[in-house]
Amino acid sequence: MLAYTAKRLLTLIPTLLAASILVFLFVHLIPGDPAAILLGDTATPEEVAQLSAEMGFDRPLYVQYFIWLGNVLQGDLGTSIFFRQPVLSVIGSGAETSILLASMTMIWIILIGLPIGILSATKQGTWIDQITSSGAMLAASIPTFWLGLYLIMIFSVTLGWFPSSGFPSLSDHGGITNLRYLLLPSLTLAAPNAALIVRLVRASMLDVSREDHVRTARAKGLHPTRVAIKHIFRNALIAVAAAFGFTFAALISEAVVTETVFSLPGIGRLVVQSILRRDYPVIQGVILVIVVLYMVVNLAVDLAYARLDPRVSLK
Amino acid sequence: MKLKIWMKSALAVGALMTLTSGAYADGMLRYATVGEPPSLDQQVVTSDLATTIAHHMFEGLYTFNASNAPVPLLASGETVSADGKTIVIALREGVKFHNGQAMTSADVLASLQRWGEFGSRGSLIFDHVDSVEASGDYEITINLKEPFGPWKNLMAFINGGPAIYPASVMEGATKEPISPDQYIGTGPYKFNEWEANRYVELVRFDGYISPEGAADGYGGERATNFDTLRFIPVSDVGTRVAGVRAGDYDYAESIPGDLFADLDADTGVKTMLNGGPIFGLVFLNSSDGPLKENFALRRAIQTAIDKTPALQVAIGPEGLWRANGSFAPEGSVWATKAGTENYSRGDAEAAKAMAAEAGYDGQPIKFMVSTNYPFHYDSAIVYTKQLAQAGFNIDLQVYDWATLIEKRAQPDQWDLFFTHHGFVPDPILISVMNDNYPGWWATPEKKALKDRFTASSDPSERQKIWAELQALIYEQVPTMKTGDVYTYNIASPKLKGLGKQTLIWPSFWNVSK
Repeated sequence: MLAYTAKRLLTLIPTLLAASILVFLFVHLIPGDPAAILLGDTATPEEVAQLSAEMGFDRPLYVQYFIWLGNVLQGDLGTSIFFRQPVLSVIGSGAETSILLASMTMIWIILIGLPIGILSATKQGTWIDQITSSGAMLAASIPTFWLGLYLIMIFSVTLGWFPSSGFPSLSDHGGITNLRYLLLPSLTLAAPNAALIVRLVRASMLDVSREDHVRTARAKGLHPTRVAIKHIFRNALIAVAAAFGFTFAALISEAVVTETVFSLPGIGRLVVQSILRRDYPVIQGVILVIVVLYMVVNLAVDLAYARLDPRVSLK
Repeated sequence: MKLKIWMKSALAVGALMTLTSGAYADGMLRYATVGEPPSLDQQVVTSDLATTIAHHMFEGLYTFNASNAPVPLLASGETVSADGKTIVIALREGVKFHNGQAMTSADVLASLQRWGEFGSRGSLIFDHVDSVEASGDYEITINLKEPFGPWKNLMAFINGGPAIYPASVMEGATKEPISPDQYIGTGPYKFNEWEANRYVELVRFDGYISPEGAADGYGGERATNFDTLRFIPVSDVGTRVAGVRAGDYDYAESIPGDLFADLDADTGVKTMLNGGPIFGLVFLNSSDGPLKENFALRRAIQTAIDKTPALQVAIGPEGLWRANGSFAPEGSVWATKAGTENYSRGDAEAAKAMAAEAGYDGQPIKFMVSTNYPFHYDSAIVYTKQLAQAGFNIDLQVYDWATLIEKRAQPDQWDLFFTHHGFVPDPILISVMNDNYPGWWATPEKKALKDRFTASSDPSERQKIWAELQALIYEQVPTMKTGDVYTYNIASPKLKGLGKQTLIWPSFWNVSK
């Protein structure tokens, strides 16, 4: 497994290089000049050109790319044009929120999605199955911005139980109790994702339940719960594991709507705002980090397959 | 037994988790902003959001009172020579920077020099300046090439204006905004922290020496009742409103017009109308394309447009807008009706005839607008329809703001573009008065009037010349004013000392909760 992991990690290098070229070109070829945004509406074209040159954007694109790449190889993602802070520090600040939000959401998904999915599969065709399946469809269909705003109206404005928005760092005033800021956003994000997991667990378990080894287990007289959990659910987990991995990665990089509604300083909102501001170093840095994240998740899912299914060999 | 322990633990965690942000002491003001400022360097950045934050940290020699008249801030007074060409400004003694250093004329000189060379609005005054010198430890002398009437208004306008920094910060400073570690001013609050995407935080400056006299606009006494001012980016307006209602924010800015009636009737929030309206502007290209030097065709376009429907659609409640053709709002000393009979005719037939007479043959007219500002886009949709009814072939090009500001710098890329302008206390600060602003209006008639306008120091004479300039704008149509928009903010009813409305930017000295 170690050799396999090392080999997979090595394949990251050409992929990252290709991604870096694509990201750099994409970012620099869209119209818009960060100098113009910095200086505002009253700046003249001459003033914008002067500042643009001071920031090095008048150099040929390939020169800018190699300077940036050279710095990245030394672990320096550059300095944010907008925040005047190292890109790593800007991403780090967003990553704290995104990782905590994604983790809390995953907890909800596991707590809600797995039991209901198992229940739905084991009670296939009954009224319980119909209610859980309909509930999952409803949860998957609700737009997150709508659900988020309603949760704010009920639990923040009316009941005053939870903060409406924002997320102070865990190192800020409040410490660990600042996690309460993420309760409503994580529930908002969990609703559609848990619904998908319910559907997936149900479908996978029904597939597995028709296999020979399950029939054998039942024929041996094993308790139905033991059959459901040990023989069906464990095998169904192979498909679910991949979904968990990519859901986690997506929760970190694509939670922009929820982050906007709850005003969370996460990665998704950071990348959108940075595109609007043409903060090239931050856009490049964040996208590179997201690419790495997806590749690592992909690898982790493959390793998990081997763990869950002894028939899978890693070569 | 175990179950009991689990239940107790769960209750304890639940209690902790449901503690709302009331945990923040009353010493912190939490202000929900629409976004984050590009920088807080007041000399080179003209973002209103930047000024909203930064004018608590940085001060200029002058500021504005509630009547928008310039009054001393870091200056204690001035004398102007009889010929109007020599201005001697006395500085307040005992003023300290946030780093503890005393402010002297050396700091003021360095700040004015950097502003004059690189400041956003510095050239407006420094084009008329022969020299600036520190004529004493607490005295600055400005020698002008010719009398320049609006000098004090320009000095008092902190947005893109002459904020005073220590000379050490100004050393080597250029057009590039200074970095946060150099945010050292003389204001009542000092810079503490900028957490990207989270907040900008200022804390009380204990060494602050307030100007004397009763508070009047931005002038007079500045009492610091809050320990901390925290400016939090909250881009979604629904979240800003809910945040103030829930008590998570004390103040939230830029609330849309369609929520005004509900919020004004809500006792849980206080609506704060901004006293200085913003106004939309549609610029016409004076440098390239079919509108270049074709004043008759521009007047035809102006004639086709009725501004009221666009304001109704884009802004909403009538209390929040005025179909006002004067470039200065009602009540301002600069308000004038000169030329405004052509402000909003909305006469498609007359426009069609005027366009034909001007030689218009149906070629496309490129109209750029951005969706970043909904009121720009909504207004542009109405104008496009009106112009089409008058026979104009409008090619509406919709961009994000960053793309629009890059394209508008290229004269061959556009014929019309939509923007807006903040309230300014002197018409010389309106962008159309700047010959280099995209649109590039620099006709001999403008130059002659502008020279007379800036050379005069007599208020009534300047008002008369401004009326002539406004009439010229309606005649040559370098830009079309769309109307006054009174934006508003909302505040927690707990805040005391806010007054009935904000001036140009909200300020939180003399405010408490």
